[in-house]
Formats: sequence, C-alpha cells, structure tokens
Amino acid sequence: MRTKMFALFVLASILLSSCATATPSTQPETIIETVVVESTKLVEVEKTVPVEIEVLVTPTPGPNPEVVIEGVEPGAEITLWTFWLSPTFDEYIKSTIARFEETYPGVKVNWEDHQATFQDDLRNAFAAGNAPDVINLSVGEGWVSDYATQGLLLNLDDAVPQNVKDLYYPGLWQSQMVDGKNYQFPWYQGVAVELINTQLYQGTPEIDAEGKITGYAGGAGLKVEDFPKTVDGLPDLCKTIKEKTGTLCDIRLTVNDLLSQMVYEGNVKVMSDDGKQFTFDSPEAVEWLQMYVDMVKDGTVDKTVLVTTNDRVGLDLFTSGQAAFYQTGPNLIREVRANNPALYGYLAAVPAPVGKSGVLGKGLMGISVKGDTSYPNASIALAQFFTNPKSMLDFSKIVAIYPSTPASYEDPFFSTPSVAIEDSAKPIAKDIVSKYADIVPTIPNKADVNQIVLDAVQQALFNNVPAQQALSDAVAQANALLGQ
Amino acid sequence: MTRRTSLTPYLFLTPALLVIAVFTLYPIISVVYYSFTDYSIVTPPEWIGLRNYQQLMKDPVFWLALKHSFTYLLVTPTLIILCMILAIVVNRKLPGINLFRALYYIPVICGTIAVGIAWRMMLDTNGALNGLLLSMGILKEPVQWLAEPSYTLTIVMMLTIWLGLGYYMMIFLAGLQNIPEELYDAALIDGCNSWQKHWYVSVPGLRPQITFVAVISSLAALQVFNEVYILTGELGGILNSAVTIVFYMWRQAFRLHHAGMGSAVAMVLLIITLAFSIMNIRMLERGTEAQ
Repeated sequence: MRTKMFALFVLASILLSSCATATPSTQPETIIETVVVESTKLVEVEKTVPVEIEVLVTPTPGPNPEVVIEGVEPGAEITLWTFWLSPTFDEYIKSTIARFEETYPGVKVNWEDHQATFQDDLRNAFAAGNAPDVINLSVGEGWVSDYATQGLLLNLDDAVPQNVKDLYYPGLWQSQMVDGKNYQFPWYQGVAVELINTQLYQGTPEIDAEGKITGYAGGAGLKVEDFPKTVDGLPDLCKTIKEKTGTLCDIRLTVNDLLSQMVYEGNVKVMSDDGKQFTFDSPEAVEWLQMYVDMVKDGTVDKTVLVTTNDRVGLDLFTSGQAAFYQTGPNLIREVRANNPALYGYLAAVPAPVGKSGVLGKGLMGISVKGDTSYPNASIALAQFFTNPKSMLDFSKIVAIYPSTPASYEDPFFSTPSVAIEDSAKPIAKDIVSKYADIVPTIPNKADVNQIVLDAVQQALFNNVPAQQALSDAVAQANALLGQ
Repeated sequence: MTRRTSLTPYLFLTPALLVIAVFTLYPIISVVYYSFTDYSIVTPPEWIGLRNYQQLMKDPVFWLALKHSFTYLLVTPTLIILCMILAIVVNRKLPGINLFRALYYIPVICGTIAVGIAWRMMLDTNGALNGLLLSMGILKEPVQWLAEPSYTLTIVMMLTIWLGLGYYMMIFLAGLQNIPEELYDAALIDGCNSWQKHWYVSVPGLRPQITFVAVISSLAALQVFNEVYILTGELGGILNSAVTIVFYMWRQAFRLHHAGMGSAVAMVLLIITLAFSIMNIRMLERGTEAQ
C-alpha cells in the first residue's frame, strides 16, 4: 500500500513537473516550487532533459565553409560584370550574390551583365578609370591574357592562399598564365560535343509494320557512332556529306585565336623555346593549314562559317537544319531547341574529335579581379565565391555547364543518368574537364600576330597561295613585330 | 554701355561654343595628339612621333582600304542618276502615287542594321537570291555571295545605294516640284520630246539638288562602316575585300587595340574629307553663281 502511494505520488509529480516544463516561462513559478518540495532530484532530471535537447537542436553559428578569404574590407562596395548571362540566369546570379553578401557581411555587390559590346564596354571602362572590380572573362578567347599582359588584372597566384587554389583542377588554375602567374579563378567549363542532325547525317528512319527500323533514307547514310575521333577524319567526312546530301560542312576556324587552334589541332610548336622567334611555318603547321585548304578547294565547307568571327553564324546554320553537324557546347543546345524545335528531336551528340596534340581542350570562362581595385580582398572573395564548389554545382543544375572544382562532381547530380541530350556530356564531363590544359605559350603582340596569321590563312584558303609560302611570310612579319 | 553691348553677342554664343568645344574641338585635338602616340585605350598614351604614319604608309591593307573607299565613291553618281529618274517617275499625278513614294522611302526609316541583316539573310547560301536563281535555272549550285572576294564590295555598295534611294529621291522630287511648269511648256513648244524635256529643263533645274546630293552622298560614301560591318562581320570580307578606310580605322583602334594608329588613320580621313568638302563647296558656289 505504501509502495502504491509512493508510486502514485511519483506519477503525480512527473505529471505536474512535465506540465511545468511545457508551459511558457511566464507561468507563475509557484506551481513549480510547490512540486519540487519532495522530489527535487526527480523534477530536476525531467527539467534538464528538455533543456539539453534544446541546446542540441539549436543551430550554433560556426565557421561558414564558404568563407575562405580573410581580411575582407568592411563596408566594401564592389561591382561585378558578367558576360551574356542576363536575363536567362538572373535568378541564379542574384541568389548567389545574396548568399555572398550573407557570407561576407558588410560587402555590397553591384551586378551588371554586358553582352555583344562587352569588350568595348570594358576597354572604355578601363580607359575612364571606372572598370568593374570583378570581371567575367573568357579564357577560351584569350581575354584574360589580353588584359593581364597590359597590367590591368590582379595576380591571383600571389594573392590567394594555397588551400583555395587547391579547390580547382590544376590544369584550369594554370590556364592563361602570364609570365608564370595566374590571373583568373576558373569558372564554368564547356565540354565540346559534335551536335549531329541525324536526318542529314544518317537519314530519316524507315520503319516496318512491326515498328522496327529497317534502314535510313535521304541522308548521308552515316552512323553516328562512327563520327571521326580525330580532326584529320573531317575532310573525308565532309566529302561524303557533300556527295550524299549536297550540304556543306559547318566548321569554324577560331579566327580570333588561330595560333591556339594550330597548337591543339595540329600539334604545332608556334614559338621557339626562348620566345625570340615564331615557328608556325613548320611541316606540322603546313599540314594543318593544307587540310583546310583542301576542304575549301573541294567545296565541302561553308566558307562564310569557316572564317566568321561570330560562332552564332555556325550555330544558326546548324539550327536552321542545313548542316549535318556542328561543334559546340551542350549549353547551346537550348538555342536549337528554342529556335527549331522540329530539329531538336533529331539531335545526337558525340564527343568532339581530338587534335594531334591529344589535349582535349582548355578552360572556357574565368573570373578575374581588377588590378587596382580599392577592395582587393572583397573582390577576390566574390570571384572565389562564384567559382566555389557549391556555386558551381548550383549553376550546373540549371544549365549544361561543368564545374572547375573537383568537389562539385561528388554530388549525385553528376552520376545520375539523364535522357536529355543537353546532359549527354554529364557522365564524362569530370574526366574531360580534369584533363584540360593550356598548351599555348604566351604570345607577345597577340592581336597583331593573330591578324597576320589570319591574313596568311586567308591567302592560302582563298587566293591560291601555297600554305608553306603563306605561313613563312607570316612568320617573317610576326618576327618583325618581336624586333620592335 | 558700349562695353555691355559688345559683350552681349558673346554671352549668347557661349553655350553653343562650349558644346562645340567639348564635343567637337576637344576630340579633334585629342585625335591629333593620339595619332603621334602608342595608345591602346586602356593604358596611357606614349609619344612615338611619326611612327604611326610611317607604319600606315607601309601597310598594304591601308592602301587597299583607301582604294576601296575611292571605289565606293561610285555610289554617288549612281545614286544621283537613279534617284533623279525615280523622282521624275513618281513626280506625276497618278492614283496611289503617294503609296509608291512612301514605299521607296521605307528603307531609309528601317535603319542600316535591320536592312543589313535582311540582306545578309537574302544573300545566304540557302537564301532567297540563290533560291530564285536556282529555280530559274540561272545557277546550277548555290553561290556563297558574301564569301566571294570579287563580289563583296559591289554587294556592300548596292546595299548603300538601296538604302539611300528613297532619301535622295525625295530631295530631287522636292526640286522637281519647284521647277515652273511654264519651262516645260516652252520646251514642248520648242519641239522637245519627253527625254529632251527632262535633259534640257529638269536636269539644269535640279542643279542645286545635284550638288547637295553629291556633297552629302560622297562624304557618306567615304565614311561607310555599318554596311561593311553588318555584311562581312568583323572580318571586312574575305581577303579584306570590303575593308574601307573607316572599317580599317575601327579595326586598328578597337580590334587590334592600336588607338594611336586608328587616330592616324582618322587624320588621313580628315584630310581627304576636308579636301572633298572644299571641292564640293566650290561646286555649290559655282552652281549658285550659274543660277
């Protein structure tokens, strides 16, 4: 009986004490004090448990893993310029900026997107002394080295700690080195694919009564899986396509950076080791140029596309359904889908053919910091933030671009199979991007030398000047520039 | 009182003079200075004396561009002849004639860029022109019009002529409507046929308009850029086949980043246009005296 009475008393105490813990702190304390009389220990246990739980579940402010740059200037107001990302990616850019401003409190970011006039706007801004602090520059087109050689960008190799540099693939961090120093945080990367219009390349499938494909009609009768693995397979392919379909190959020379194309495609050594003379008239260079000369003579390539400075000219030709294939990034498949939905259903994508250098490619986009910015640390922090693994992963999820940070690829997103053609490069992207490397040496007077090479290439392509003579003349002119 | 009177006109002139000084005089003086410097826009200019001019004289593309610009002047007589004929044709009281006048004027209000893009599409390998010529059996296979160096400059000039037809036609039309009808009556009485009537009355009567169109269109021809840029991209045509002097100047300043060299080209262009302007003004004065 005593035991029962004691048990009843304990239960009543528990009941009352739990009521007390469940009530807001504004409840009269008298109730708790009344209960505590004989079962202090028991009540204390019941009271401390929820308190402990509360401590455990409450998020505690700790070091934010995205904060990797120290000494960010308080009250900094910096400007970011991006290249051709608005309005499509407004939401992503704005949300990343908001996250940055939360991560580095006190820094304000003003964002501007510039498009076709980006380069002109940027030069004018530098000339006027109001260039942006953080700038999205193309690595692929050589913009980073253009501005870095003029002393306009911040040397990031000296300004960024090693643990931050280690976040990026070394080949991408070392893209566009100028005098052995890096001037860009590698941003989003592209994986070159050959987009194939299967109606032209293969033909329209002929289907029997059972729904099986019995053959193809109207196209070149080629198999997508047999697309050339190397660049030197293109001339024969173009001949076949011209003969079978009457269409021309949609191939583009990198008119703004021909020496680079020579290096990757032809494995051409463009400068001597001591950097004192150009050497792009070697047998390898002549062979590379002769390949294009032959294609022009055979009439198998679209000449307008071949020497256009605007990659959209080639993309437009492909999008209009008048070309069998075109090399581009998977991110631009959205243009085909938007402008010619009927073609979208007949698209296939294969890896782009590799040149004789065997190197798959180089970096695409980077983010640089203005050399004389008033807020170097805040600017470095912003450039780094946009290129950190989380920001890159978020970006990859909304468009077919590929991160420059190995950590991003650990997300299941990259290992999840997808049926969309835009994602066709996703499973192989890490392997390709990790091997990107810049194998082109720093070219002095690059714009002038490129113009000389462009003139020489045109003379060979369109004016019957032998490739060897055109390149030797160009080397002589380029060497004369070195002597100035 | 006298002092205040003498200052008053200058006070009225000051705002206009300030605007001219800032937006015309200062840029001209700057260009003269930059032409003697090595200047890439983003870095400070460095004085190099006459080196830009020396390099210009040695550059074969500069001479090619100059040749193209002078060839481009053929646009002027072509425009004068075509626009006069067109003005005579539409200077009639026919039903719906205003519609025709408006149609001829449409390219003027469309703008070079829009018209240039339309022309580029028309001249594309798979464009309307090839389609038409292939369907008529004139061509056996499509021609890449803008990739043929021998055609490029002519095509660009044709675009300029087409763009200018409506504008200059209106000037001649206004001139024709100011010629007294009695002169045509007198010509008929004198036995002039329809052709002679225009040769002996309309053409002399349009002399001020001819001089005006010659001045304006020749200066515009020397400064052509938009048409070249739109039809040939940043390349100026394969083998520099459509590079004009202004396009060459743009390429030097903004593609090759040699603003100093670009300024030297601008100085050469300034001298040429100045010479043309003086020549044209003399012609205008002579025309006025003759009247």
